[in-house]
Amino acid sequence: MKTRTWIIILSSVVIVCAILWMSILNSLSPSKIVGIYQDGNLVEKIDLNSVTYQREITLTGEFGKNTIYISNEHIEMKSAECPDKLCVKHGELKSGGTPIVCLPNRIVIQFEDDSKEADAKTGAVR
Amino acid sequence: MKTRNLILTAIITALALVAFTIEAAIPPLTPIYGIKLGIANVFTLFTLYALGIKEAAAVLFLRILLGSIFTGQIVSFIYSLAGGILSFVLMVLLKKFFTLKQVWVLSVLSAVMHNIGQLLAAIFMTSSVQLVYYLPVLVISGIIAGAFTGLCAQLVLLRLKKWSENKL
Ligand SMILES: [Zn+2]
Repeated sequence: MKTRTWIIILSSVVIVCAILWMSILNSLSPSKIVGIYQDGNLVEKIDLNSVTYQREITLTGEFGKNTIYISNEHIEMKSAECPDKLCVKHGELKSGGTPIVCLPNRIVIQFEDDSKEADAKTGAVR
Repeated sequence: MKTRNLILTAIITALALVAFTIEAAIPPLTPIYGIKLGIANVFTLFTLYALGIKEAAAVLFLRILLGSIFTGQIVSFIYSLAGGILSFVLMVLLKKFFTLKQVWVLSVLSAVMHNIGQLLAAIFMTSSVQLVYYLPVLVISGIIAGAFTGLCAQLVLLRLKKWSENKL
């Protein structure tokens, strides 16, 4: 194939991916329910809408402790002892977008599609 | 492997390791896993064209193994390996379709494949399919990084070809 053809193909892929990425970043999750997973297992499901008091969850992985901060508005990785700290730098999870990931400690915080009943006080989904 | 190739492979591996270690010391641009220049790819590509498949495989896998040990990034080893295997296989299979002036295209394709491999490994390790949301940005970063490292390798290869032709 000609180099020019390749440039056109690759430019198109970049544009399509940029549009997809923007729409993912600005997407709104249908529910405000987040799931916290470690090693692929569900640790807790929380409905952010029904969280009435701020709290923290501490998870321990292979590379130390991760502290997750939960409030009525958002959820974030407040601190972590993992080597890269990319999970902390991800920032707040509010309405949708990409999940918070900590690869060293294998933690994922993501919005869930289902809308199950949540505990009125803690927001914990039963 | 001829002695000449063995020595060249060892030297190139050492150079790739230096480049990898320096890059690992620079803080990441974004808080997203997998977005990096991957400057060590220049050495793998160069070796694939200048020496051969076996030599390039040695440069790549020795660099991944020693690089993880030297930088202490044990976590990234499994991801580098997953990305490395997939991108290398693609590179070897598709090499014949690209001229020496299209090395950068091959590099782009293999860099994108590298990022896909890493993402698949991350999805496997965390069992979270939602990580696929990171795919678009990883494809874009793979295209940019692959074009840059590919152009570097391409320029060196073209100069080397010119030089050896003039000599003869
Ligand atoms: Zn982390």
